[in-house]
Parts: sequence; C-alpha cells; structure tokens
Amino acid sequence: MSWTLKINGIPQTFEPSEQPAALADLLKHLQIDQAAVVAEVDGQIVPRADFEKTLLQDGQSIELIRFVGGG
Amino acid sequence: MTPPVFYELKSAVVGIAGLGGLGSNVAEALVRMKIGKLILVDFDRVEAGNLNRQKYFYDQIGRWKVDATIENLLRIWPEAQLEGHKVRLTPETIQSIFASADVIAECFDRADQKQMIVETVLSKMPDKVIVSVSGLAGWGASNEIVTRPINNRLILVGDGVSGMGPGIPLTAARVGVAAYHQANAIVEALMDLKHGQLSRGAR
Repeated sequence: MSWTLKINGIPQTFEPSEQPAALADLLKHLQIDQAAVVAEVDGQIVPRADFEKTLLQDGQSIELIRFVGGG
Repeated sequence: MTPPVFYELKSAVVGIAGLGGLGSNVAEALVRMKIGKLILVDFDRVEAGNLNRQKYFYDQIGRWKVDATIENLLRIWPEAQLEGHKVRLTPETIQSIFASADVIAECFDRADQKQMIVETVLSKMPDKVIVSVSGLAGWGASNEIVTRPINNRLILVGDGVSGMGPGIPLTAARVGVAAYHQANAIVEALMDLKHGQLSRGAR
C-alpha cells in the first residue's frame, strides 16, 4: 500500500519500495543535509540526534526547516 | 509625545546570538528603538574582512566584537542596558545565557549553527520566540527576502535558498535588508507577546 506524507504542507506519495523507514531515510531521499535542517513530525520537534531512530508512518505531517549559511 | 510602542519595548529583553553582519545591525536598530535590555553573545574578534557588511570601524580591528559592539551602542544611547558574553554558544549555554530573554535573534553565519540554536530553543525553551535567518547571500533581489512565521515560536527571515559560496559573497546591502527584516520581526514578536496575539499582521 502506498503512503502519503505531508511534507511542508504538500502531500507526497511513496510507493512501498520507496517508503522511508526513519526520518533520516526521508532526508536522504530528499537530499537534505541533516546538519542544516530542523524537523517537526506532527507538530513535535525531532532533535537531530534522533533522526535515525524516529520511525515514520503513513499520514504523518512533516515540517522541514532548512538553513543555508550566511550572516 | 512618545508613541506607546516605545513604552512597551522598554521592558523587553532580547538575546542576540552572534555579532556579525546580522547581529551588529540588529543590535543597532534595537538600541535606537530603546529596547529594555540586550544580551549580546559572540566569541570572535573584528577582522578587516568583516567591514564589508558588519557595523564596526577600521580602528576596531582586532577587538572583541562584544566589546566593540557595546562601545558603539553606548555612543548611540549611553543609558542602554547591555550584557556581553564572549563565549561560543552551545545547547547548554544558550539555555543559561538567554534564560531572561523574551525573544532570541539567531544571527550566526554557519548553517549547522543556525540549526543548533533553532532546535535548542524550540525543543528546550518552551516560553521563547526565536527569529532566525536563512538565505541572504548575493546582491539585488531585495523583494525575495521575506519574513515568515513558521509556527508561534519561530519566525524565519530570508529567501530560503541563497547560501554563501564561491562567487556568491555576502554584501552589506542585502545582509542589511535581512537584518532589518529580522529587527522588525523582533519588534513585532515582542508586541504580540505583550498583547497575547498569535497572528502577525501589519499594523
């Protein structure tokens, strides 16, 4: 069965073969640098240290706040 | 007559994390608006290469940025309440140094440091608002720099994509656009906190 994850408000469908097990897998799939993103799953902040062990499920809402350098 | 906004800002405390292109400009704007107190944090000294966008002077090269900033701000307003810390911020020191702040300004240079302070404030400091900046390198495209509330405690300034890199320098004018967006968002957040408003419309 395919999954739908809402990422930054936009629903995205993942077929069984590409479903990310953990938040870290989703970030790899999206080619996002783990060191430069703050992640929220269903409104809860997930600390960077927990990206590998935070398992995802169908229907979750994920906010990814990305940072680029300069200041 | 003094507009009421200035009375309200007199009791506010703002923490500024980093005194580079963003922090040195944000601090000046807030002092001119007579914010109650600023907590200024930076571990570095002024270098010649900083003068292209940071609010320092040639004769301040080699001085601690915290000391140079305090000197400059006191020339603007001698009664300003300023607290300086020459330390590198960590998740632990962020929580202790900014314990009394109403709003925290993320004014770092590196993306991983921006990540670190935003994660710390959102996950460990439930009563604080943070105003962060991502995407300000280059020149022109002023109108692509925007202020967006991400949630009730995080306001994000910038174009979201322009990182500094080869051929993409940081320039005084575009960093200044972002810094003044940031200072303006801080004032707005402080007024919202005073009035218990969660919506952030123009007024």
